[in-house]
Amino acid sequence: MMRRLKRRDFLRIMGGVSGSTLLSSCGSPKGSKTFISYVLPPEEGVIPGEATYSPSTCAECPAGCGVSVTLRYGWPVKLEGSPGHPVSDGGLCIRGQSSITRLYHPKRIASPMLRNGGGKFQGISWEKALALVSESLAASRREGRTNLFLSGRTSGSLSRLIDSFCRTREVERLPEFEVYSHSAVKEANGLLFGQREVPRYRIENADFLLTVGADILETHVSPVSYARQVSRARGEGGFLWVHAEPHLSLTGANADRRIVVSPGRETIFLLYVLRQLLEKRAGKKGLPAEVAGSLPRMSAGRASEATGIPADTLKEVCDRIAHARRPLVIAGGVSTAHPGGLGVAAAAGMIQWVTGAIPGLVDFAGRENDERVGTFRDMEDLSARLERGKVGVLFLSRTNPVFSLPGRYAFRENLGKAMLSVAIGDLFDETMREAGLILPLSHALESWGDVEPRRGVLSLVKPALEPLHDTLSEGDMLLRIMGEGSGKGTAAGYRDYLFGEWTRRFGEQGRDALLKTGFVEESLPGKRVSLDGRKAASLFKGQNATGREMAGPVLVLAPSLRTFDGRSRGLPLLSEIPDPLTTISYGSWLSVSPGTAKASGLKDREEVTVSSGDWSQRFPVKIQPGLAEGVVVACRDFVDSPPLRREERTGGAVEYIEAVGIAKSGKTAAIPILSGSPSQRGRGLVPDPSHKDEKHHHGRESLYPEHSHEKYRWAMVIDLALCNGCSACVAACYIENNVPVVGKKDHLKGREMSWLRIEPFYGETGDVEFLPMLCQQCHAAPCETVCPVYAAYHNPEGLNVQVYNRCVGTRYCSNNCPYKVRRFNWFWHRWEKPLNRMLNPELEARGPGVMEKCTFCIQRIRAAKDKAKDGSRKVRDGEVTTACAQSCPTGAITFGNLLDPESGVYRLSHSGRVYRVFEGLGTDPSVYYLSGGKGGPGRKSHG
Amino acid sequence: MDKPDKLARVEQDVLSAMKKPGIGYLAALGCSATLFLCLLGLWGYQMMTGMGVSGLMNPVGWGVYITNFVFWVGIAHSGTLISAVLFLFRARFRTSFNRPAEAMTVFALLAAGLFPLIHLGRTWKFYYLFPYPTQRMLWVNFRSPLVWDVFAVSTYLTVSVVFFYVGLIPDFAIARRYKEGAAKRIYGLLSLGWTGTRRQWKNYNQLYLFLAAFATPLVASVHSVVSWDFAMSIIPGWHTTIFAPYFVAGAIFSGTAMVITLVVPMRKILALDRYITDDHFESIAKILLFTSLIVTYSYVVEFALAWYSGNPFEMETFRYRALGDYSVMFWIMIFCNSLAPLTLFVRGLRRNVVFLFVLSLLVNVGMWVERFVIIVSSLARDFDPYAWGTYSPSIVEVGITLGSFGLFFTAYLLFLKTLPVLSITEIKEHL
Repeated sequence: MMRRLKRRDFLRIMGGVSGSTLLSSCGSPKGSKTFISYVLPPEEGVIPGEATYSPSTCAECPAGCGVSVTLRYGWPVKLEGSPGHPVSDGGLCIRGQSSITRLYHPKRIASPMLRNGGGKFQGISWEKALALVSESLAASRREGRTNLFLSGRTSGSLSRLIDSFCRTREVERLPEFEVYSHSAVKEANGLLFGQREVPRYRIENADFLLTVGADILETHVSPVSYARQVSRARGEGGFLWVHAEPHLSLTGANADRRIVVSPGRETIFLLYVLRQLLEKRAGKKGLPAEVAGSLPRMSAGRASEATGIPADTLKEVCDRIAHARRPLVIAGGVSTAHPGGLGVAAAAGMIQWVTGAIPGLVDFAGRENDERVGTFRDMEDLSARLERGKVGVLFLSRTNPVFSLPGRYAFRENLGKAMLSVAIGDLFDETMREAGLILPLSHALESWGDVEPRRGVLSLVKPALEPLHDTLSEGDMLLRIMGEGSGKGTAAGYRDYLFGEWTRRFGEQGRDALLKTGFVEESLPGKRVSLDGRKAASLFKGQNATGREMAGPVLVLAPSLRTFDGRSRGLPLLSEIPDPLTTISYGSWLSVSPGTAKASGLKDREEVTVSSGDWSQRFPVKIQPGLAEGVVVACRDFVDSPPLRREERTGGAVEYIEAVGIAKSGKTAAIPILSGSPSQRGRGLVPDPSHKDEKHHHGRESLYPEHSHEKYRWAMVIDLALCNGCSACVAACYIENNVPVVGKKDHLKGREMSWLRIEPFYGETGDVEFLPMLCQQCHAAPCETVCPVYAAYHNPEGLNVQVYNRCVGTRYCSNNCPYKVRRFNWFWHRWEKPLNRMLNPELEARGPGVMEKCTFCIQRIRAAKDKAKDGSRKVRDGEVTTACAQSCPTGAITFGNLLDPESGVYRLSHSGRVYRVFEGLGTDPSVYYLSGGKGGPGRKSHG
Repeated sequence: MDKPDKLARVEQDVLSAMKKPGIGYLAALGCSATLFLCLLGLWGYQMMTGMGVSGLMNPVGWGVYITNFVFWVGIAHSGTLISAVLFLFRARFRTSFNRPAEAMTVFALLAAGLFPLIHLGRTWKFYYLFPYPTQRMLWVNFRSPLVWDVFAVSTYLTVSVVFFYVGLIPDFAIARRYKEGAAKRIYGLLSLGWTGTRRQWKNYNQLYLFLAAFATPLVASVHSVVSWDFAMSIIPGWHTTIFAPYFVAGAIFSGTAMVITLVVPMRKILALDRYITDDHFESIAKILLFTSLIVTYSYVVEFALAWYSGNPFEMETFRYRALGDYSVMFWIMIFCNSLAPLTLFVRGLRRNVVFLFVLSLLVNVGMWVERFVIIVSSLARDFDPYAWGTYSPSIVEVGITLGSFGLFFTAYLLFLKTLPVLSITEIKEHL
């Protein structure tokens, strides 16, 4: 017989059971500390499954774009452009997107390292490392050596801290080292206007833009900002952009008009334009007579002959600039990096003066903060000082001169002659491998800091997580070395230092606003400058009308969209995403014009040896439509210690190697060229006029009922007039959607996994159109009908959904997709630790044998719908956007609900420029493209 | 010779093939079995590592595996054609070929059936392809030709096995008489108590006729469905209405060739010259020639349609097929399938068994290459030029392909030693 349970017994038992249950859930299980690790607990706290955002600044290049760090469970999983940021305003480039892979890079240097007797690096503690630095600083002073501090471009509080560090520890701060120092532009502005600066260019206010060599979409000063401004200007209509360059860059490919100029002859071109402006009295201002008189005279014929630009093109440019109301000229990039570079920059400056672009369009008040950036000449001096054995401790922070400097400077060899070289960085590079001591740098997402890319803008660097490794921010390092020296200890960290600085500058309220928004913008009054006629007149004295011809073939070392000057080479994602012009993903290449290739019988992938003097390097060939004869191009980032000369007057590097020898090596290199055809073969992916009149049969007979959509039908509009192929969207997509990085071997087999890709299609004249290709979310999807198991099915919101755990892997859907946007998992893809921390927990990482593809970021749609549901409403337009659209610097991508007549996609998809790819197939895609070619949306109305 | 003696001699001649195997036979069996084991090993490796061990890529998602599938299904065709269709037409020469042809059908289907499984990214989920009841209400997509394939091929296999077995029943009874011990019991069991009574023969003939009539439409339907795997897509080079008859003709063509390939050495080794005569070979050579002409006509039609369509995608696909990366394969196909069989217009060559054997090998190669060309060259260049790419098979795919021949020949060699290789009862009927 069972005893009857009494009420008191019941309560006793229940109390015991529930109490012990509660107790067991208390305490922190092992590992939880690392799972949610905040430096500052966010006000809201961590809500599992919900993302939080933290403002910061991208540190991948000196442009200082604002980012919003997406945190999930306390871990940064993605960077997005920070809307409203004065530099980038919501856009983020391919390098910025990829910079989170630097944080989680498996090869991050995890602790200070000292070179031991055998030349190998050995991990040591920070105490030891900093004590060693401190002792060496003192020891070198005793020996009468000088201590030096060299860094990459630095701004904001860190720059001031370096100053005070150098003062207290008696270290000489060297001019900063940047490969792209813009020295010619600064020199020219110094001579002409007494402003030795890189000004702020206000492209958005211009109606005519002439860029000469300045790769404003790749690396030139602030590419995201420029891309956005060009896009705005185009949006307003009536904007024309002419780009002149000797080679072919992404920037040139996107200008409305690209002019090929013979290498080194840009001065002639600009001086001709200047003369024409003066003669027509088209400018708002004149030039002092002494200056005007100093300009060489030339006929259109001679100018055309010297520059290689057809005479009628010259005339057209002159007319355009003369008739423009607000013309802007930007010289830079490779066009100012040759012996005549100063002349190019000066001629551009004079045109700006004459057209009255200063100060409205060329703003010296909001100039770039790169006044400390030195030149190759400074580096030559440094190398010489090192060689003399007079250098004690040499700090090398965030800079890689061993790689970037010509071999003839012998920087690598001389570096060993310093008493101690201290390299500060996060991933091993050529310079760090030569250093004596390595101080590992925290990632920007692990550090406090600020950046002032240009006057009037301060952007916050705020840690999003505790350092993953035993690393310090540069500020903390310097403060601790200062503390060692003064014996006062290290009471205050860099955070306190910064808070002090910010409070001092902006007050407590301003500081708090900075912490919240991530930036402070001050309005600066425009700065009037005047032209120094005497100096200007001296510039072109003796300039003959043709200039010096470069001896061909000329190798142009171009800046790289993907790796800047090579500093981002270590990030695997940037090798995985192909270069948009060549579609080469992994490895280096030499771009050769089709004519040259034909003459010397060169084919794609054929290996050649390029040599000049002692230097030689092997490259596979890539035939580049649109490239001029006699010019070959290699990306700067893949050329090791090139034999570059320096420009005598400005000290800047000459990015040209003349009269290079090009010899076939007889081998063929395996480089992945992802595009199957440089031309679209008249298929109308990007319609040209011949497709305009094609009639498509829109009615569709079907045995099956049409799909119906109640609340939402998601759609995307991509404006091809705004898309410039920068591939930021591709990087964003990779990171948002856990798309695996598969490596060179699989790329060679055609197994890249990108859900979104940029397809370049070249026309006969070498003009190129970029087509972002992603799943078109067809309404009558060929992939859906052939899937035997309904893994590909149409959801009620018009999405073409892929159910990963239902997929058996027949690959029929991929075969049947006319857009070839489906990606099959050929292997297990694994994320090497700690890269797995970057995985977005909102969607799974797909296993082997499963098909995957773009989902219009369905996880974002779901999150937005959940939020809308809480408010018992529908998702509003703009409330949800895809990762690609978010990142796009030009705002070319619009995403939204096609059923909402108020939405952006509805409006744009009813525009006159709309078309869909392969419409004739009857797939009824949900991705709409706006054609319009170069010239932007405004072109239509403009004729 | 008296009639009973003659009859006994047929029995002994045919059954003498089942005597103790020689060293050559064992070596051949050993080779075939090893190849098949290689297939299993490589398949396991592929499942463990991922489909990436094949040469497949984007845009070519189907390659050698599907080529093999279509090839083996094609081979499987002549069994039914020779057995069932010729039975209905009362073609007497059928008697010499029907047993090996039926055996070939069953074994080729076994080989064919492997490939849809091998080519799945997640083979372990193959049962998703069947409509089975689940509480999650998951169902297969009956719009997908791949589901039709599942039904077509499994139906064909079932019917072929039943037809093969029913034809064997009277011969099992004869074999029972000649055997001792365990073998006798097994053949006894298999003969289902056949005694050869008048009633049994009546029922048997009715059933056989019914099965022959039932199997005949399958000749057309199965390969039509297989062709729809391609024709139902939108890929230029696949999406065309002639695919069903084109594939059926191709299947009969390749199946007939395979019958010749198998029967010529079999006749020689098992000394069956008396039962499989040159006349018989001439008849089957005529089928080969006829189907070759249909196949050639289809090739012409494909190109003509592409040219006539004016569709840039279609035109490029066929230009590429003849002149592009896979042009060598294309011209091999034309030579083997269209040009070489034209020699059969010469009567002397039709009756030359050695020539027929060589020609049949060429046709086998040609038909395998045909499937490869259709599948791969169409996928390699479809709509979006950016996505174009070329595929070449990996060593794993080559090994698995050879392994499927291993499976086929293992089964065929076992058949030679365990079952009567010709239909004894039917030969007797015609004496």
